[in-house]
This record gives sequence, C-alpha cells and structure tokens, in this order.
Amino acid sequence: MKLTRFFTGVALFVLAAPLLADAPGVYAISGGTVHPVSGPAIDNGVVIVRNGLIEAVGANLAVPADATVIDVKGKHVYPGLIDAQTSLGFPSATPRRGGRGGGGRAQSAATEQLPETSPAFASMREVKLADDDVDAKRATGVTTILTAPAFGIFNGQSVILDLGGGTIEQRVVRNAPTQQISFSPRPAWTYPDSLMGVISYIRQSMFDAQQYAAAHAIYEKSPAGNARPAESPSMAALGPVLRRDVPVVFIADSELMMRRAMAIAREFNLRYILSGARQAYRMPADLKDVPVLVSVKWPTPPASKEDREEQPLRLIRERQMDPTSPSVLQKSGVLYALVSGPGKTGDFLPGIRKAIDDGLSADDALRAVTLNPARILGVERQLGSLDKGKIANVVVTDKPIFEKDAKVQRVYVDGREMKLPTEEDRARGRGTAAAGPLDGTWSLTVKAPSGDVSVNARLHVEEGKISGSFSGDRGSGDIQSGSFDGTTLEFTINVKGQGGQAEQEDWVFHGTLSGTTISGTVSTTLGTLPFSGSKSR
Amino acid sequence: MNSTRHSRRILSCFVAALLSMAGAALAENVTVIRDATILTVSHGKIEHGTVVIRGAKIAAVGPNDQVQVPAGATVIDAAGKFVLPGIVDTHSHTAVEGSVNEISLPNTGMVRIRDVLTNEDVDVYRQLAGGTTTALVLHGSANPIGGQSQIVKWKWGHPISEWPIADAPRTIKFALGENPKSSNFRPPPGIPAQYPQTRMGVEEVIRQSFTDARDYAAKWADYDARKKRGEDPIPPRRDILMETMNDILAGKIDIHSHCYRADEIMMLLRLGDEQGFKIRELQHVLEGYKVAKEIAAHGAGGGTFIDWWGFKMEAYDAIPYNVTLMERAGVLTSVNSDSDELARRLNLEAAKAMKYGGLSEEEALKLCTLNGAKQLRLDHRLGSIDAGKDADLTIWNGHPFSTYSRVETTFVDGEIVFDRQRDLQQRAALAKEKAERLKKEADDEKKNKPAAKKDKDEEPSDE
Repeated sequence: MKLTRFFTGVALFVLAAPLLADAPGVYAISGGTVHPVSGPAIDNGVVIVRNGLIEAVGANLAVPADATVIDVKGKHVYPGLIDAQTSLGFPSATPRRGGRGGGGRAQSAATEQLPETSPAFASMREVKLADDDVDAKRATGVTTILTAPAFGIFNGQSVILDLGGGTIEQRVVRNAPTQQISFSPRPAWTYPDSLMGVISYIRQSMFDAQQYAAAHAIYEKSPAGNARPAESPSMAALGPVLRRDVPVVFIADSELMMRRAMAIAREFNLRYILSGARQAYRMPADLKDVPVLVSVKWPTPPASKEDREEQPLRLIRERQMDPTSPSVLQKSGVLYALVSGPGKTGDFLPGIRKAIDDGLSADDALRAVTLNPARILGVERQLGSLDKGKIANVVVTDKPIFEKDAKVQRVYVDGREMKLPTEEDRARGRGTAAAGPLDGTWSLTVKAPSGDVSVNARLHVEEGKISGSFSGDRGSGDIQSGSFDGTTLEFTINVKGQGGQAEQEDWVFHGTLSGTTISGTVSTTLGTLPFSGSKSR
Repeated sequence: MNSTRHSRRILSCFVAALLSMAGAALAENVTVIRDATILTVSHGKIEHGTVVIRGAKIAAVGPNDQVQVPAGATVIDAAGKFVLPGIVDTHSHTAVEGSVNEISLPNTGMVRIRDVLTNEDVDVYRQLAGGTTTALVLHGSANPIGGQSQIVKWKWGHPISEWPIADAPRTIKFALGENPKSSNFRPPPGIPAQYPQTRMGVEEVIRQSFTDARDYAAKWADYDARKKRGEDPIPPRRDILMETMNDILAGKIDIHSHCYRADEIMMLLRLGDEQGFKIRELQHVLEGYKVAKEIAAHGAGGGTFIDWWGFKMEAYDAIPYNVTLMERAGVLTSVNSDSDELARRLNLEAAKAMKYGGLSEEEALKLCTLNGAKQLRLDHRLGSIDAGKDADLTIWNGHPFSTYSRVETTFVDGEIVFDRQRDLQQRAALAKEKAERLKKEADDEKKNKPAAKKDKDEEPSDE
C-alpha cells in the first residue's frame, strides 16, 4: 500500500518536473481594448493571467505585485479563437477512388499510407502536429482546435487541443468530444464505393452497434445458455453515440447532403452537429435545433474566363450565395460556429472576412469563433470568453481582428506566451507555395478507338499531391487523386460513360512531364489509351 | 339558453363563410385545357375536347360540349393542339447523385436510390420539356442484384422529399449477362476480378441470395420463438441486405431485371419459379420475342428500345419487331430510355412501333404511357387521361408522333413544371443575371489584386 503511494508520488514528480520548469507566469495584459465576448468591449482594460487561468478582467484593475505588465495600449485583446473543425495533424489527402481503385499499377503514394479509420479511431493517439502547422494556426489567432482525419467514413473520435506546449495529452481540452462521419465512398470495387453504398454502410453499422449493445447486455445478465458475443472496438465506440452521450459530426456541405445526414440522425435518434454546411442559407428553418459548423473554405471560381462563362448559372449563383450562410443562420437564431473545415487547412481569417462582407457583423463573427464553438463542443465553462476562471487563451492584435490587414501580435495559450512566426518565416512559407512546373491548365487529347477525346485539366501540386479540376468531352469534375514526383505524374478523373451507358468510369492518367508537354497512357475500362498534351495557360 | 343558440348561429355562419372561402380557394386551382385533340390513351381520341384540372387531379375530360368550364377557372385555349398523358419512363438513371452502381459486391440489395436522389439535375427539366413526367430511377447493372430503385415524379422546383411517389411499390434492380459478369469492364490491375464471371455465376449469386435469406428468416423465427417461451436470447444481427431479400420473397418489392438474351431470360423465369419470386418487368429484353409466350405466362412485363442494338455481343439478335411480337404474345410492353437523352423523346420511340410491326396508334401511345404505368402498378393514377387520375399532362403543338412536334406545356400534379413560352421569356433575364454575377466576381478580384501584387513584390526576387 505504502509502496504504491510512493511510486505514485515518484511518477507525479517525474511528470510534473518539466511542467514546473516553464510554469505559466503572472501577466497583466494592460491598456488595450478588451473584447471579453461574454460582455461589451472594455476600453483601456486589463486581463490578469495566473497559473494558466484568467484571474480577472476589467477596467482599472489593481495590477498584482508579482505580475509582469504587458503594455498593449492601442491594441485589441481577444479570447483565443476556437477552430472547431480541422484535420490538423492528419494527412490531408482524401482517398476517394485513389488507392486501390484509381491507382492501378502505380498506386498513388498520397493515398496508400492513410491509416484505416473506424469509430474506434482515436485522434488523440494518432494526431501528429507539425510545429509549422501549429505556428501558422496560432498566427491567425487560433489557440484551440478540434481535429480529426478527413479520410474514411467513420473518421473516428475527434480531440479538442489547446495549441500550447507539452505533450499531446497535456494539450487535450477534451478527448473524444464527437464521433466524425463523412460521406466519402471508398475506392471502386471496395464496399462501399458509391454514395448510396456509404449511406447503407452507415445505417448497417448503426444496426450492428445496436445489436452489439443488446447482445452484450443480455450476455452480461445471463451468460449460461447464450453463445458468447464477439468483442468489437468499433461497435463499442458507437455505444455512446447511440446513447446520445456523444454527438456525431456529419461532414456535409450541400443542402442535399445535410438532409441525408439529418435523415440518418432521425432514424437512429442521434445527437448531431452538421459540419461544412455551405448551403445552410437555404434551410435555416430546418436547422433551428441543430448546431452547425460552417466551413469558411468558400468555393472559388475557375481561373480562366472561358471556364467561368461555360459554367451554368446555378453553380455561379451557388458559390456567390454560400458565404451568406453565416449571416442567414445568425438572423435565424441558429447556434453555429465558423470553422476552417476538414481536409487541407484553408485561410481561416480571410474566409471569415468574406462572411462579414456578405452580411455578418464583426461582433457576431467573433462570437462564432469563440463562445459559439465552445458551446457546441460543450467546453464553454473552460473556453470561449475572457472571464474569470477560464483557461487563459488570449490573443492580442494591432487592429480589430477581422480587419483586412490586422496582425496577431501576441498569443497566450494556457497562460504561456507562444512565439509567433517572424516575417522571415512567413516569407519562406510563401516561397514554397510558388507555382511548380505542373501547376496550370493543360489541354490533353486521349486517343480513343472512337476518336479523340479532349480533356482540359487544371492541375495544382502541393507536397507531391495533385489536385484540381477537369472539363471536356466526357464531362467535368474534380481530380480524384494524384501524385507528381517532379517528372512522372499520375492522376484519376471520373468521366461520363460513352453513348447510352450512363455509368461513370475512372480514367487513370500515367504520364511524364517534359517542359510544357506531358504524354503517357490512360487506363480506362476499354483498355489502355495513349494521351498527350501541352500547357494552355 | 338564448345566448347559446345565438352563438351557435354565429358559429354556423362563420363555418359557412369558411367553407365558401375554401370553395373560392379551390376554384383558383382549376385549369381548363380547351378545344384540344385529347389522346386519352385509355378511351381513344377526342377531337375538340376539354380537360378540367382541379388541384392535382383530372376532374373531367370529354368533348367541348359535354364538359363545363367551371367559373373562375384558368382557361388554356389549345385549339389545334394535342394533349397526352405524362410519359412514363420505366428505366431511368437521371437525378442520381454519385455513382448509379454500387459495384463492390455481387449483391448490393441494401443500397437505395432514394437516399441519393437530387432535385438539381437539369436533365429532369429537359425531360419535362420532352413530356416525361414519371420515372423509375434504377440502380445500375454492374451486379446480379443491384440496389433498390425508386419511382418518382419529376417535380422540378420541389424539395426532393416530394419526388418519390408515396404509394408506389418498392422496386429492386436485377441484372443478367455481360454487365454483372463484368465482360465489358475490369477492375484496374491489382484488384481481383469480381465474382461472378459467367452467366452460371450470375444465376448462382441470385439463387444463393434467396437461400441465405431463408436461413436469415429462420434465425429470426427461432429467436422470436425462444422469446415467446420466456427466454432471454441474444437477438440475431439485423441485416438490411437480408431484409431486402425477404421482402422480395414476401412480394413487397418488385423486381426489374436487366437482360438481353433468351437463354438468360428463361433462366431467371425458372429461377423465380424455383425460389418463389416473380419478375415484374424485364428491362431491355432485346430477345424477348424469342420467348414471348413464356414471359407472358410468367406475368412479367417487358420494357425495351425499338431500334437500339448491336452495341455489344448480347445485343446482336435484337429486332425492331420485338415490341410488336411481345405485345401480340400477351406481354405488357413499354418503351423506356436508360438514357438522360432518350428520355426526352420517348414519344418518337413509341411511334416507331407503328412502323415496325404495325401497332395501332393507341397501342403505340400506350407504350410510353399507360403500359409503363401498369408495369409500375400505378395505372390507377397515371398513364391515361381519365377523370380522377393525377393531372400529369402535356400539351403538344402537333401530334406527338410527328418529329416536328414539341411540348408546349407540361403539368405534374396539376402544376405547370415546364412551359415553352415561360422558358423563352426567362432566358434574357437569366443571361443578364449570369453576366452580372460574372462581372461582380471579376470586379471583386480586381479589387483584391493590388494587395496580392504588393505581397509578391515584397518577396525576395532571387534567393
């Protein structure tokens, strides 16, 4: 007994030692315009931070003798922003039709290494935060994120992290606050490889989880005479979801996808949150009781004038209406937050500014990245406003944070000041984003038995992965997956079937770049066809 | 006492007022198509006829002098024009989001087209402009047993939840021959070929699926029996695929099977007899003429093309007389599209049956209207112009069997969902809106450009 206590004591000491070394200090952030969010702005206010928590907020506060005074006269002080939907710390590629189905001979390196996800997938254990990513995020004023992978159907259990120092476990604000589900089909020939299959797969999984719970409950009660039910971490992980203890976050952008998610939630009586929600503006009345995470990764028009003019009015209209979603939800009294969204990290602040341009007030926008997400995620007692006792996540900017050229100048996370990337760091970041040899629009011609097929592909390379869009004789759409190693490239597109066959098929391009031309072969259901082409713009 | 009587009188006055208001409201929803040639399909052609649409239903149809125009009705003068019931397409893949095939397994009866319908497919509008108003939206033919299909009306402009016909039967897609045995498409290298690879295999997948379904039902029967005896057994797994298969056996789901060759058709009919299921409609059925008597004896319908053939090996023995030969052998036959495009002109597909085989005009009209409605078990509502049926109607500027004719107006449930004049009038406004929106985008970009340029200038030019 005594021995155990001793060991516990040693263990605590060992764990605590590195913490004590850089213990959060006592600060008086003083003289700025303080935006507590929970109340009106305070001119010439003071925020006192002690031991990682907020000790006091107000005007004319007595500065404690042991506090380091940080003079922020003329500046603005905010609670750290909360980005309630990211995939920070996970590979960004989506394996739609990549890997097994689209990859063919040369499997796409981008999709091959993605781990399998399941309801039991624990983001806390798997997340690998890169310092650069965290720095970049903090530089936009974000101090807290929810993260989960963007691949798979059951993306697993998310985690809420403070972007401070220490181990992942020390950064956790809440583990497994949500179960994430996205409607992403698997590669062709792997169930489910269609959207309707994904929906069936989700429904069957829920029925299986119900059966799992019932079987184990009965077996617990009367093991004699009953066959022992199998153990399943995945089904066990859905238990809290079926009991409504943990909400499901459905990744759904369009009105139709949101309605499909809502139908599943109704069928299984789930507590749920909609994430993505670009077209929320169309259905505010139906979202009265549903928290919504609106992704500010707004769709952008095609680069070329010709491509824009070819687009149907519906698409143009939709992409111009999407950024009105936040203001529509605001007016309708829906509980919503602004998030950067799953997958690649986008520009969070510019996205929010777009929503403000389209009718959202700056005050409402601020609430939508602080108190609202804290409420939606159930952490409003710890985060979301500058109030006594809350976690000391504090951001200081030179101008009101949503003004176009506002700069984040200081960031405190858990009461510690974090180093921000310097101008040089940022310049370096811009350098790597410069256009590569494959970036641009390509006119490609595929030699099919029935004649030439033209495909215009807009390609963009990032970290060896190809993304973009295509249009041409056999329809248009996004590049499904692809990779580029500097010389050889491979990407998959989903084209319309020929003639009366309505079925879509995957075309996998394998090619070599030389200067401003590429050539190679395309794997199709009709066999392998040659293609070549050049950069058009 | 007195006051009660008094208040009762007030109340009854109030109710009367309400009723008369309701009557007025109804009168507003009455549309009359006057003085047209009405192709009723069920009871011949009415020259100088009138159709009265009240709400979503056809209230009356007959010669001008026998049908009264209700007061306050909207009257469409259709002199010289033709009225046809909405065309029924029993083989559509329109309005589906994502793939129409769940290709991964030999039996994907758990997936449902109704989960992925979209009301944003412009092909729907184009089909309304061709007179098509009802469709059976089918899963693809990549596997012997595909997904559950969905009967819908093209209710363009309405939420997708209103498109499925509520009391329509549930349906499922089966497929025989080259597609389910993957003759014409292969998985990419590295993925094993999918079972089945032969027609034998296709038959076996279907047989095994029904065998499994019976085992599944037995498991649940055993569970229910133990429960009844007061035991506390562990429930079996609820399997949505096996539930589907049992619903087919119980006659709750109609089978629409893709097929071409006579031998595979006979295989399926015999398998149905063996396993206890019925085929509602054979789809494509290009060699149906060879086994028409057997198809009729089974009670299956046939939905086919007239002169679409030779597009693969199993389509080589097709003949344009197929429709007539099946029809004459007693098979309930329709023409359908399997194509977003053919679905815009099924009237002409039907017309060809007069040329090849010599069906009468009314028999040919039925091919794209009433017969399809019967195959979908919806002929009590659709497929002909009769009082009491759904007001799904099309007005044509000439006989629908002429290539020069086109649709002027299409009604679904009494509502105008396509109108040629309205469409023409809207075009300028839509073009203007598009130009304005594109200009706004270009202007916004210009506004943001100088800042971006400045950023670039700040970058070290050479490092």
